[in-house]
Amino acid sequence: MTRRLLLAAAAALVVTLPAAADEDLVSGVSQDVVEITSNYSGTDLTVFGAVEQPEETPGRDIVVVVRGPDARVTVRRKDRIAGIWINNARAQLVGMPSYYFLASTRPLKDIAPPDTLRRYDLGLDNLRPERALSDGSIDPYVRAMVRALGKQHLYVQNGSGVEMLSSTLFRVRVPVPAAVPRGSYNVQVYLFRDGNVVSAQSTPLFVDQTDFDRRLYAYAHDSPFSYGLSTVLMAVLLGWMSSFLFRRKA
Amino acid sequence: MEIYLPIAEMSVHWLVILGMGFGVGFLSGMFGIGGGFLLTPLLIFYGIPPGVAVATTASQVSAVTFSGVVTHWRRRTVDLKMGAVMLSGGLVGTALGVYLFSVLRRMGQSEFSVSASYVILLGIVGGLMLNESLRTLRAARTGQSSFGRKPGQHNWIHGLPFKMRFRESRLYISAIPPVVLGLVVGVLSAIMGVGGAFMMVPVMIYVLRMPTNVVVGTSLFQVLFVTAAATILHAVDNYTVDIVMALFLILGGVIGVQYGVRVGTRLRGEQLRLLLALLVLAVAARLFFEMVATPADLYTVAVGGP
Repeated sequence: MTRRLLLAAAAALVVTLPAAADEDLVSGVSQDVVEITSNYSGTDLTVFGAVEQPEETPGRDIVVVVRGPDARVTVRRKDRIAGIWINNARAQLVGMPSYYFLASTRPLKDIAPPDTLRRYDLGLDNLRPERALSDGSIDPYVRAMVRALGKQHLYVQNGSGVEMLSSTLFRVRVPVPAAVPRGSYNVQVYLFRDGNVVSAQSTPLFVDQTDFDRRLYAYAHDSPFSYGLSTVLMAVLLGWMSSFLFRRKA
Repeated sequence: MEIYLPIAEMSVHWLVILGMGFGVGFLSGMFGIGGGFLLTPLLIFYGIPPGVAVATTASQVSAVTFSGVVTHWRRRTVDLKMGAVMLSGGLVGTALGVYLFSVLRRMGQSEFSVSASYVILLGIVGGLMLNESLRTLRAARTGQSSFGRKPGQHNWIHGLPFKMRFRESRLYISAIPPVVLGLVVGVLSAIMGVGGAFMMVPVMIYVLRMPTNVVVGTSLFQVLFVTAAATILHAVDNYTVDIVMALFLILGGVIGVQYGVRVGTRLRGEQLRLLLALLVLAVAARLFFEMVATPADLYTVAVGGP
């Protein structure tokens, strides 16, 4: 475990090489792989970068988005039927991100007009599924999903999360909570000038279980019968061992 | 230290899981029950998805009951024939229940049906036990003899066909009631993650009129196989057995049960049953409250669900 921690620390120090920017933006992520270990309880990533023009233009803004793999989500609504709350209506949303983090230099509404934000999928209010099947309008279901994932810290929007270290250097701390789904993520950095995107960069990021957990998961799904049988054998063995140990002691 | 559960895909504190296993194991040793009916709701309250809670509890119950079966086997207090007859119904019931559960899960009603079956069953069983133990306690105080098995007394059970002789239970009755009992308990164990001993024992005593000394051993025997089957079937049909959580639950459970047995032998039977009845009713009341109270959020979100 200590070795693992050291490796993680080392990985955090080694910078993935910044890609060349379109105009005047370079950015990087502190690590390009997040491993969910057996004792994983969340970690922090750092996204950082530099804009090349040092002058403090008031219309210059930076927005950083970390987007997780798309998920298939079922949202159900409870209704009171005969005094009991019961799931009564539902919506299936396809193409909503399973993780969404957004940080900006200022609140989004001050950075760009609503239609620009919508075009770039920026902000929790602008997340829309690609396809949806629902009882009634999808809006309340989408809002419920944003609310629920927000509570688990999987959907985060921080209007002052971009920290300027100097007039050209910026840094964003991205919390990756314990409940993050596995898959390929995308880190996007947008440079706005007077409400328009003038430069954008995207860096891939992978979140995966460690070998042991991934193998268990694969085992449970690929050969479920022998997985179930092993669980039972483990149960019986431990039950037998305990009765044996305690009989000796008594 | 947090541990990551690969199937539930969430992190939990290992001490909490170990502690729950221990506490429930303790109670199950004390009362001679599997304890699944306490563990499943506890895990759900803690935030484990109901499907994973039900399936993984089944594996914990089989571990806890295994040591009990070994003990009863040594004392020869297992009616093997009765157990096998009940098990034939029990295995069919378990398969049926696991199938039913996967259908309910797809409909989005698994949470409701788990809670509803708990409220109904625990309410009935808890009420009956409370009534019975209070009556026994009152009878003991006034010096009257409590109920007992009156030899030669017949009831409707004796009118049924397919009679079999159960030597250890000193019974000659139809095979239908034990098979049906096994079937019903099998369905419940698959849906609720319970072994069903807490409802099987009263039926075996009051309806089948089995002698009390073989009742516990025989019911544990049946519970062991039914929960083992439920674990495997849930793993196959629903992929909801979390082996990492099972490990911690079992470790806590098998240790807890040993201490529970020691405390249990020091308490009187009626007192034990009164305590158990109150516990059962408390769980039922808590679950009922959750069903009728206005939820904080009317919407529930399942990511990656079917």
